[in-house]
Parts: sequence; C-alpha cells; structure tokens
Amino acid sequence: MAQALVRLRRVCRFYGERAVLKNIDLELVPAQVTLVIGPNGAGKSTLLRLVAGLLPPSEGEVETELPPGGIGYLGHKTLIYPKLTARANLAFWQSMFGQPRDDDAVTAVLSRVGLAGFADEEAGVFSRGMSQRLSLARVFLTAPRLLLLDEPASGLDPASAVWLRREIRAVADAGASVAWVSHNIAADLAACDRVVRLDGHRVAYDGPAAGFDAAALAGEGVC
Amino acid sequence: MLKAALAIARKDLSLALSGAQGLVQTVLLGLLLIFIMSLSREPGELSPPLAAAAVFWLATAFGQVLVFNFLYGLEEAEGARLGLLLSPAPAQAVWLGKALSGWVLLFCCQMVFAPAAVAFLGQTVAGSPLMGLAVVAAVDWGLCALGSLLGALSVGKSSRESLLTVILFPLLVPALLAGIRLLETVISGRGLEAVGAWTGTVVAFDAVFTAAALVLFPFLYTGEE
Repeated sequence: MAQALVRLRRVCRFYGERAVLKNIDLELVPAQVTLVIGPNGAGKSTLLRLVAGLLPPSEGEVETELPPGGIGYLGHKTLIYPKLTARANLAFWQSMFGQPRDDDAVTAVLSRVGLAGFADEEAGVFSRGMSQRLSLARVFLTAPRLLLLDEPASGLDPASAVWLRREIRAVADAGASVAWVSHNIAADLAACDRVVRLDGHRVAYDGPAAGFDAAALAGEGVC
Repeated sequence: MLKAALAIARKDLSLALSGAQGLVQTVLLGLLLIFIMSLSREPGELSPPLAAAAVFWLATAFGQVLVFNFLYGLEEAEGARLGLLLSPAPAQAVWLGKALSGWVLLFCCQMVFAPAAVAFLGQTVAGSPLMGLAVVAAVDWGLCALGSLLGALSVGKSSRESLLTVILFPLLVPALLAGIRLLETVISGRGLEAVGAWTGTVVAFDAVFTAAALVLFPFLYTGEE
C-alpha cells in the first residue's frame, strides 16, 4: 500500500466535556477516495478539520507527510469573498498558494466547473450551487494532494452531483487522496474505494466500498 | 510571506475602497468625535495644540477598532479564514497583510480627520506638514501592528468583538501619549528634538509590537470557532 499522506493515531477530540471523536486510527493514502459517513453529530466534519490541521486533537497524534498548502478543503462555508468577482476570488487564491498570476488557468478551471460565463460577476450574487462550484474551482486550482470535502454536493442539482462524482474520481485517479463526507451514500458509493463509517464517536467500519451494504444503514438514519 | 501579505492587503483594500465598506463608518465616527469635542470651547476660542492633538488621536484610536473589526470580518463571512490557514503562507502573512491594509485605511481616515481637527478646533499648523505626516505614519504603524494582532481575537464569535476594545485601549496608551506629544510639537512649530524621548517611545512601541505579533499571531489566529 502507498505511503499514507496523513495518519491519525488514537485521536480524541472533545468540545469542553463532550467527546466528539474517541480513539480514531485512520490513514489516508494517495489515489483513493474515502467516503466518510455517519449520522448527524458523529464527528465527520470534526474529523476532516483534524485531518486538515485546522483543529488540534485533544489526545493522540495527527502525522502528515504533506507540505504546507498540500491540503484542499471544502467545508460547510464556501471560503469565497462575496464582494469579489469569481475571477478575482481565484486570482487571490492563486497568489496565496504561491502560484504565478495565470488568467488562462483561472479561465480553464472556471470552464471546468461550468462558471466560465460568470467569471466577472460578483460571487455574492451566485446561487448556493454556483457558489459551491466556485469553491470547487478554488480547490481544483490549487491542485492539492489531499482533498477534504464536507458534503460538497450540498446545493447542487442532480446533474451537477453526477458531474461532481466524476470530477472527484478523476482527481483521485490523478494521484490525490480524497476524503469525502456525504449523506447520499447509495449514489456516491460507486465513486469511492473505501468507506469509513463513524458511529458513537468511533470508527464503526473502515473497509472497501465494494460490498459495503448501504441499504442496511438506511434504517439507522445514516443515508 | 511578503508576497502573500501583499496579496491579502491588496484584496482587503480593493474590498474596502470599492463601495467604501468599513471606511464610511470610521470617518463618520471620527468626525463626530472631533465635532463634539469642538463644542467644548467658547466661540472664537482656540483649543490648545495639545488638546487638538489628543482629539485627533482619540478619533484615530476609535477608528482603528472599526477598521480591524472590518478587516478580520472579511475572512469570517464565508469562512475564508480556513483557506488562509491552509495556504502555504505562514499565519504571520495574514497579520502583516491586515496591518498593511489597516495602515492605509487608517491613514485615509486621518486625511479627513486632520483638516476637520484644524477647522473645528481652530488650529494653525506652524510646523512642517511633512514632519506631521512622518509622525502620523510612525505612530500608525504601532497602532496597526497591535490592532492586527488583537484583531485576530475578534474572529469567530461575536462576543469576542468586545475583547478587542477591552485589551487594545490599555495597550495603546504609550503610543497615543507619544503621538499626542509629537503632533502637538508639529502643530506648534517646535522641533522634534524637544520631544526626543517620545520619539524613542514610538520607535520602541513599533518594534516591540511588531516582534510580539510575529511570535504570537499563529497562536491567536487558528481554525477553531
């Protein structure tokens, strides 16, 4: 198996007295899509933030082989500036990631997410789905080796969700690792290699996506 | 780090100046303060230069709080703070970028406060305007270095915004006192050599809080809510 990009060892995370994650052991390896599932409050978003280094673990260790800037993150918020145009948003993130100003690259990534016609419009007037696409463009532009997506299909129409699954698969096939939080398990499972299921603040399942019985979870409120 | 800081400053200034977001409130608050202070003198009476300088720096100090709340608020609207923290630039680039944009914005506000203070408080500036600009720029850097450091405290929860004022104002006292003394000297046309110790205070304040910010900022500006 390829060397892990991020390794969590017996990680626990508390908010005050309340435990959100307990004794999590997890490795994320290149060229793999990991679907992270679990009921509301299971700690999925917290897990992604711990992996990203945005939250320190309360106990345990998070080790990473990635250089600074090697992680792309899309959370519940879009991380864009509503008063800047789509193009200016992406140009800013290009600068922050040490990339030379490249309008062609910006135009190309806007085309990839279907926003080429809205490049010079303020992001604040975008619908939720368009904002989500712009946020994906930001992530794709920086070409991260580890991509953390927290419900990236939220706000996307069904056709866009299909497009998103294809894009995520393509990113992993190009060598990146993807950790993807989703509640639409039945549809998303086919694009994944591995499933990590959180329940009771612990990893309840960590194994291949092939053969994972999503239907059995339907009654547990996970799907 | 410098490149990333300049990118942040450029983005902040473009957001602040297009539509004058954040600036209008700051300028209005400062002008209101100067106007109210001017009511305390009798008609035809001139305020002493020391009082005029004090009013100018008071308006600046209140304006600074608004400016840094605005600048750090830009990163909170859609969670861009997390993107900044995940970029390869060190966290200090955010501090520097915000300090630079705050420095420019505060200076723009002062370009309105200064003539207002001269007019409403009946001042005649006898010293060199260039010297005045140098004094203002030097004191402003210290204010912005500290404002940008403590501005990081105001992110996340709205209840933290009050922390900025509570902690900021006591720490600003040395810089404000020095600014008042130096500006009074410029207004009255005396040479700065008469207030050498205050010049040293400004330089030391700038250096101490620039160094402190470079060390402490990564501990204050984090991904935690």
